[in-house]
Amino acid sequence: MTAPNSAERKACWDARDHLWKCLDDNDDSVASCQRFRTEFEAKCPAQWVKYFTKRRDFLKYKDKMQTEGFTPAQGPQGSRS
Amino acid sequence: KLCRTRSISRPAQVGGRPQARFLSGDRDTAAAAAKLKLRTRLLVTVLFGGSLLGVWWYVHAEREQKLQRQRVEQLRQVALGQGTFSLVDHTGRRRTKRDFLGSWVLLYFGFTHCPDICPDELDKLSAAVAALDRNASLPPVQPLFITVDPERDDVAALARYVKDFHPRLIGLTGTAEEVKHAGRDYRVYASPGPKDEDGDYIVDHTILIYLISPDGLFLDYYNRMKSAEQIADSVRKHMESYVTL
Repeated sequence: MTAPNSAERKACWDARDHLWKCLDDNDDSVASCQRFRTEFEAKCPAQWVKYFTKRRDFLKYKDKMQTEGFTPAQGPQGSRS
Repeated sequence: KLCRTRSISRPAQVGGRPQARFLSGDRDTAAAAAKLKLRTRLLVTVLFGGSLLGVWWYVHAEREQKLQRQRVEQLRQVALGQGTFSLVDHTGRRRTKRDFLGSWVLLYFGFTHCPDICPDELDKLSAAVAALDRNASLPPVQPLFITVDPERDDVAALARYVKDFHPRLIGLTGTAEEVKHAGRDYRVYASPGPKDEDGDYIVDHTILIYLISPDGLFLDYYNRMKSAEQIADSVRKHMESYVTL
């Protein structure tokens, strides 16, 4: 399969941006943004859909770390003599 | 007590003379004298302040140059890009590293199936080269794109890809071994990810733009945080301070 050209890349990025804006406005409710999700999946190669979905998760996680701070995981709890 | 009376009397004595002049009624001379004194004082202040600024600026410039030299020395010791590469460009022509000696080169490793980072970085690279092009007194910079995905990025794929960026951008590919050799030379990390149902995959790779001197030596690198203007400025500085080996 040939790589997307410049116009196709832009179409994919625009669809992604519309989806992300909808998710931002609807508190990440995928149900409310189904239309955008379908368009996004149509305009972007499957690998890119996976990549951008992971990227959004990462960006949200990063935001959360920056606003809420980081609590280190508790180590193994258990009695040790 | 004697000291006290003496210190009191002195100002009276010193003050006495100009006061005597005032009292003599020659106000114009006194005013002119006061203006001259003010002008002299201003002049002295400006000269003093100016020379302080000059010294500060000189020290600052020296420090900048020293930092630049240290950085180049450090990068020289890292010794990237010492080897040669032999690849095929997007017109099907074979090119080796030697073909690019004599030119300043900005090099980026990527792949055409890249979702967003490679197009962004190549746009940035193109903008930096365009900014440098605007200065006619500088030598033209050669932008290069070497693929980390030789399996899919053949000559035709590269030709389709590079035309969206700077007109002088040359895409380079080759056999898996040739590409690996070129990447190793610049310590480029590249790792193809898992293939999906379409056979599509993403290649995880180092995201850097490398600056190479006309001698073929690696001089500097620019990461994602650097803007096109910052890259152009840095290249200009390297060109100015460059001494042919």
